[in-house]
Amino acid sequence: MPIDVKGVSFSYNTGTTLEKVALENINLSIGKGEFILIGGEIGSGKSTLIRHFNGLLKPSTGQVIVDGMPAHEKHVKTKVGILFQFPQNQLFAKTVYEDVAFGPSNFGIKGKQLDKRVIHALQLAGVREELYDRSPFTLSGGEMRLVAIAGVLAMQPDYLLLDEPLSGLDPENKNSLLLLLKTLHSQGISVVIVSHRIADMLFLADRVFLMQDGRVSFKGKPDDYIYSTSSPLPDITSLMKDLRQKGIDVRDDVFSIEDAFDEITRVQKERMVR
Amino acid sequence: MSNLFFTYIPGTSLIHRLDPRTKIISVMIASMIIFKLASFAEMALIGAVFLILSLVSSIPFKVSMAAVKPMIVFLVIIFLMQLFLTEGTALFSLSGFSATREGLHIGLLLTVKFVYLLLFASLLTATTAPSMLTAGIERMLRPLPLKKAGISSFDLATMMSLSIHFFPLLYEHLWHLKDAQMSRGLDPGRSPFKTVYSLSVPMMRTAFRSAEEVSFAMESRCYQGICRTSLFDPRMQRRDFAALSAFVVVMWVILFFA
Ligand SMILES: Nc1ncnc2c1ncn2[C@@H]1O[C@H](COP(=O)(O)OP(=O)(O)O)[C@@H](O)[C@H]1O
Ligand SMILES: [Mg+2]
Repeated sequence: MPIDVKGVSFSYNTGTTLEKVALENINLSIGKGEFILIGGEIGSGKSTLIRHFNGLLKPSTGQVIVDGMPAHEKHVKTKVGILFQFPQNQLFAKTVYEDVAFGPSNFGIKGKQLDKRVIHALQLAGVREELYDRSPFTLSGGEMRLVAIAGVLAMQPDYLLLDEPLSGLDPENKNSLLLLLKTLHSQGISVVIVSHRIADMLFLADRVFLMQDGRVSFKGKPDDYIYSTSSPLPDITSLMKDLRQKGIDVRDDVFSIEDAFDEITRVQKERMVR
Repeated sequence: MSNLFFTYIPGTSLIHRLDPRTKIISVMIASMIIFKLASFAEMALIGAVFLILSLVSSIPFKVSMAAVKPMIVFLVIIFLMQLFLTEGTALFSLSGFSATREGLHIGLLLTVKFVYLLLFASLLTATTAPSMLTAGIERMLRPLPLKKAGISSFDLATMMSLSIHFFPLLYEHLWHLKDAQMSRGLDPGRSPFKTVYSLSVPMMRTAFRSAEEVSFAMESRCYQGICRTSLFDPRMQRRDFAALSAFVVVMWVILFFA
């Protein structure tokens, strides 16, 4: 069953001179097991939109239905996990372990089962074991972020939403986070990444939504996204385009480094045969 | 999410156009009067004054309520303390403490007083741009001999404008934090202790970190605090004196005749 967003509009500060329409008649659906990218410039309403998916914000008009339930029901928060921007700011507990246990214990999970979940989440997120009993505030920024991710994973959500998850990460950490998301997705979890720069993640996505001024201006497959919008190309795609212009006969419709590698080796082999 | 808490709501009403000093002095007078008053009839009159001012300034009532809402916990505590700790005729008792009729009276009155203070203050901040507010306060402090205490009115003005600018920032941060913890199942209605703990610890960290960042940023731009000029140059005009006099007369009438 999906997350269904039906005719949702939302305004901040209604009834004052500061009123701001942030979402206007949004209609979309996110299926179980999908990998979705939500793009759009800063201020286009992405963060406002995902706050509707677990009921943090209630639509001014329209409705959000998660697996058949209205999104503001408490139980929905166990299904839809959100990792917010700068998640390292949310840590508060005495130890890393306790912080990760916060989510599931709020839903009444106790004892052995809680322990299993916490350890599993910490391992998935790649937090080193010797950090489990440390205070989260003594960790490095990168480690704190992993703990925050574990905190959301411990809720074992069916839908995992991440708001600008790559901002402030170095390339190596970016890759390991994307790899983790890929793994989670292969285990059947729906992954939704929100970012103002989605080009380099296109190869992961099943579908793409583009937000513009509070509306959805594009819905569709990554390929269509590249050809039907004027958005920037992924770095690897521009590289292939450059190669083509230099007279090397490679395809330029590849979005991932693996595909590019295969394509270049294929062309190279062909040349050797000739 | 609502971030109307003591926010400036731009507008063109008469109250918006008044000099910040006029409004600051009026709020000071109103606070003194509010704490002098002792009957519910007088309170009702003050309420009427507030309603008229908020109509004239066309500030929606929900903006003023946004200033009261986050304080409700404190207001309830103040009320209960008065209710149970005042001596007098007992109304009912609860685990050893008895609520008194006098306590009820004093408690209600005191709670209403605090609510009024918040309402008037919110009217001031809603109709005055933060920069104007700072400029107004700085002007009012200038004649004081602050130099002897080792600070200047410019220092104070800087501190004030920094705090005013920090406020919405911290408030926004608090909302994001609340969103994050609520997404992890925090239920503020059901577990108030957990709520306070899981919000206040990260808030403190952020507050200190941002303060440090700002001080670095100011130092690296050679902030000296000797002579701070202001983009806005508030001037008292005829309408300010008229408005201030009218307000003083109304308050005086309430104080002596109600
Ligand atoms: N708490 C708020 N109060 C008022 N306006 C807001 C608030 N949060 C966001 N907005 C406005 O709503 C619009 C959408 O914001 P947001 O959803 O954060 O966009 P994005 O995540 O795409 O950058 C922006 O114009 C922003 O200024
Ligand atoms: Mg955002």
